[in-house]
Amino acid sequence: MSWKQTKDAPFFVGYLNAVPKQLVTFLLVFSVCFAGGLGIAALALSSTQNDPGDGGFQWGNRFENIGIMELRPYPVLRVAADADNPARTYMLSGQGKRGVFKQAEQHHDNAVLLRGIPVKRGDLTMIQVNVRRIEAAEGEGADFTPSEPVQLGRWKLTGEICDGKCYAGAMRPGQGLAHKACADLCLTGGIPPVFVSSGPVENRNFFLMADKDGNLLGDEIKPLLALFVELEGDVERLDDLMVFKVDLAKARILR
Amino acid sequence: MSVQYTPVIWNRNKILYDAVLLIAVALYLYIYIRVAPGFEDVTKPLDGAILRMRAFGSCAFLMLTVILCIGPLARLDRRFLPLLYNRRHFGVMTAGIAAVHANYVLGWYYAFSPTDQYVALLSSNTSYGQILGFPFETLGIAALLILFVLAATSHDFWLSFLGAPIWKALHMFIYAAYTFVVLHVALGALQGTGDPIFTSVVAASVVLVSALHFATGRMEARRDRGDETAKASLQEKGWLVAGEIDEIDVDCAKVVTLADDERVAIFKYDGKLSAITNACAHQNGPLGEGKVLWGCITCPWHGYQYNLTDGRAPAPFTEKISTYRLKLIGSTILLDPNALPPGTHVDPVVIGEAA
Repeated sequence: MSWKQTKDAPFFVGYLNAVPKQLVTFLLVFSVCFAGGLGIAALALSSTQNDPGDGGFQWGNRFENIGIMELRPYPVLRVAADADNPARTYMLSGQGKRGVFKQAEQHHDNAVLLRGIPVKRGDLTMIQVNVRRIEAAEGEGADFTPSEPVQLGRWKLTGEICDGKCYAGAMRPGQGLAHKACADLCLTGGIPPVFVSSGPVENRNFFLMADKDGNLLGDEIKPLLALFVELEGDVERLDDLMVFKVDLAKARILR
Repeated sequence: MSVQYTPVIWNRNKILYDAVLLIAVALYLYIYIRVAPGFEDVTKPLDGAILRMRAFGSCAFLMLTVILCIGPLARLDRRFLPLLYNRRHFGVMTAGIAAVHANYVLGWYYAFSPTDQYVALLSSNTSYGQILGFPFETLGIAALLILFVLAATSHDFWLSFLGAPIWKALHMFIYAAYTFVVLHVALGALQGTGDPIFTSVVAASVVLVSALHFATGRMEARRDRGDETAKASLQEKGWLVAGEIDEIDVDCAKVVTLADDERVAIFKYDGKLSAITNACAHQNGPLGEGKVLWGCITCPWHGYQYNLTDGRAPAPFTEKISTYRLKLIGSTILLDPNALPPGTHVDPVVIGEAA
């Protein structure tokens, strides 16, 4: 058995610089296999990572628009239709993991000129607002009345609750359990939660979330974050933004 | 061996060991971060910070897996013993790589928030009551703390200060660290969208570590059973039959397991026999798997040496281990199973002067 030492077996003593000849080849082969194996593992693990999507900051496409600031229940900017675009509703966030509740309450239901950077993934757009440059606005774009939400009925949807900013592309990837703590911090900081559905409603998979009465969601959302869940609630359309008013008491964790 | 404590006593073999280690780790990180992204099938690249945190995290996991394989591999095949010699550097480097991983996580997922990073780390996810969504970060923190403690106490100063039994017990926490790391990965990264290669690598690592330890355990148990059969075959006034002279090569030993699981190494050298405990005073290395070099028993792990007749390290070193009495009947070796105090001189049995 290997534990029994024999006279002819090579014997390595670390502080003696001479390594027995029989061991030199073995150790060289092992070293090459060790380094090569790590290299192959790195290539295999890194090159097969999942696609984080096409989301990201639109640095070359700065946002500057006049609209009505509303709380639905999270801060949104309602922008009037123009010659090229129908009316739009944008979700808003501040810098980093901060929301813009304070500014939204200050300008609630008033027209503002808002500047920022869009964070966009597919048809989900979040505006990272420059909070120091929100100005009360007058004139074109300021004197319109936003439409009332269109009710789309009651839905049971499966998918993942994410923070709207990271999922939109502020982080790539910005979803999944590895990102759960980050999403938690984002929501705590005031970033709007979004539900990413595995099935569409009117061709939309992203939903701004609210509780069943249309109010802000509380800590009860946290155990459900970043998991594959089933939610039930009313869906309404606010211009191009879908809002999912969920009854979290009926939420189910699927996996 | 050393009589004074210096940070690292370098020699050519340690430098080569560390060089291979550094090259392998650098290669892994370079390929992961710089080369492999060119082969990714993604719409837009991953964030650099996330790519780096994954690179350092997976590297630390693989390094820890290799570290845990070295022990059983060296038991199963003595050609792996040189890997054991400088394993502590491997461990310290692993702790460093894991710390970089943690730093990227802190500086990315827990940054950009009004909440302090360290407060956020412990407070952002507290769903300890559920498996899916469990705060797997806590398991990573626990593993990292263990790795830090083991790295900080890896120096021989701590071995001497704490004593071999406590030091050895403390460093067995490496298995707890590995368990935490596996759970950290299983409840975190593996819960994301399916990644069969990553899942396979993690599963294969855990199976490899477990299988090697199982195989080594079986080998040790088989050996102990064989020894017990031999010793039960004859007893003479408290002496145990330890084997035949011919079983032992010159300058080598036979290891005998006593009833209390204590192991004794019986060395044959210069036409004589001497017996000492099998456990090296340094890190409990198996002295019976060593050889006699320059008239001293030499441990196969780190080369610690002891005189054959009294179990004392040659001056100026001060380590000493237990010795045992032997006698010969014909060609049969008999062993007194009562250990003598460490450093006790015992006259060797001269072969050819048997009763």
